[in-house]
Amino acid sequence: MFRLSGDPNERAFLNLIIRKSGQNLLECLQCGKCTAGCPIASEKVPGPRQLIAAILSGMKESALANPTWLYCVSCGTCATRCPVEINMYAVATALCETADKEKSASPVPEIDLFEELFLNSVRKNGRVQELNTVAQYNLRTFKPFKDLSQGLSLMRKGAISPSDMLKGSKKSAAASGLFAKVHQVRQGE
Amino acid sequence: MKVSYYPGCSLEVTARPYNLSCQQVCRSLGIELAEVPEWICCGSSAGLKKDHLLSLSLSAKNLALIDQQSLKNVLIPCPFCYRRLLSAREEIQGDAQTAETVKGIIESDLQAKYSIQNILEFLQTVVGPEDLKSKIQKPLRGLKVIPYYGCYLVKPRQVTRFDDPENPVSMDEILRTLGAEVLSWDFKTECCGASLSLTKTEKVVELSSRLLKEAVWKGADAVAVACQLCQSNLDMRQGEVWKREKKNYQLPILYITQLVGLTLGCSDRDLGLDHHLIDPRPVLKERGLLS
Repeated sequence: MFRLSGDPNERAFLNLIIRKSGQNLLECLQCGKCTAGCPIASEKVPGPRQLIAAILSGMKESALANPTWLYCVSCGTCATRCPVEINMYAVATALCETADKEKSASPVPEIDLFEELFLNSVRKNGRVQELNTVAQYNLRTFKPFKDLSQGLSLMRKGAISPSDMLKGSKKSAAASGLFAKVHQVRQGE
Repeated sequence: MKVSYYPGCSLEVTARPYNLSCQQVCRSLGIELAEVPEWICCGSSAGLKKDHLLSLSLSAKNLALIDQQSLKNVLIPCPFCYRRLLSAREEIQGDAQTAETVKGIIESDLQAKYSIQNILEFLQTVVGPEDLKSKIQKPLRGLKVIPYYGCYLVKPRQVTRFDDPENPVSMDEILRTLGAEVLSWDFKTECCGASLSLTKTEKVVELSSRLLKEAVWKGADAVAVACQLCQSNLDMRQGEVWKREKKNYQLPILYITQLVGLTLGCSDRDLGLDHHLIDPRPVLKERGLLS
């Protein structure tokens, strides 16, 4: 791993992520306890240690293209075990916001899509309409029958009902107003 | 006793048995649950990932709504909502500038001096083991239960400061109070894959498979959970797991509140026991816990 010089340009990305996440990545020891316990790390998903290494080395494109931060389920295992208590899901948020701002290609578009549909539902209804969000996601990813058998079994048992799809269509002024205000604050930044 | 209640979105639809059983248990214990009026989503994992300020503001809005109820405790059964509201409060109260920004967005002040409780903490401290024990009509004698805590209640330890992140014991203790035979295992707080269930199903099947195989190997009659994501992943993906393993098991995944409700004499329908994909009633009948 190469070290960054003190040149502010070289350190811009690292400083941005440290500021946005509130996590002092400079303390990272690269010990790897985070990745060792990370449930989503795999052959295809490098895990927190490599992601932090990329950020520390100023490798912006590589960090934004790393699927780890989109896979992150914020289980908090890494933060719990990290000797310097770095919270990786705060780092994931910082990277997600940066990727959005830069409009860089998403490393895992389907997770992005789901999270977007989820928040759209919250904005419109105040509460997420779970079944609608799932149905929309399945349609948008061209898998309209995904998990249909489980869904039908649950319906037969009366656990969920088709009326759940229609139910929460009441608009929530509180939520949409809040989303708009957050957007305003963002634009002022 | 009156307690504020923030169920969260899942408990309204896919995790209705959790909602039903929470309410039934509280009713049986003489606790009145006052649902937070006009509560909204906390943003869940999507909000937390995509937009820090949005996630913070959604939680703050709910914290302000809870303020208006002027109650001492708020029960949040969903572990994600529980952790999110807890950490949002800490972040807002710890930084004056953040507090100012959030105040402008939610258009109200925030006191939030109440205690935010997850279900295990609630059963242990607000209800208390003596009171619970005194109301038990049918102990879970002979039922081998394996407690599965999941992540969000106990991790990161710096955020929830509840129980132990690697070897929590609160659910074990509650189950023992209920008279169950509590099995010990190493996977108490191993992740089930949480919100990846829809987008990365194969990951969730892989993670849930490890948990299910271990629980079966330990000889569990049922897994007890306190999280609707854990419940849904272990219940809904179980068919895929056993098909892959060429096994024919049926391991019921029950909410801790359903088990508490059973001991208090609530009916299976009132607890939503008929709503799970893996039907828990056969094993409960076999053990003489349901008629």
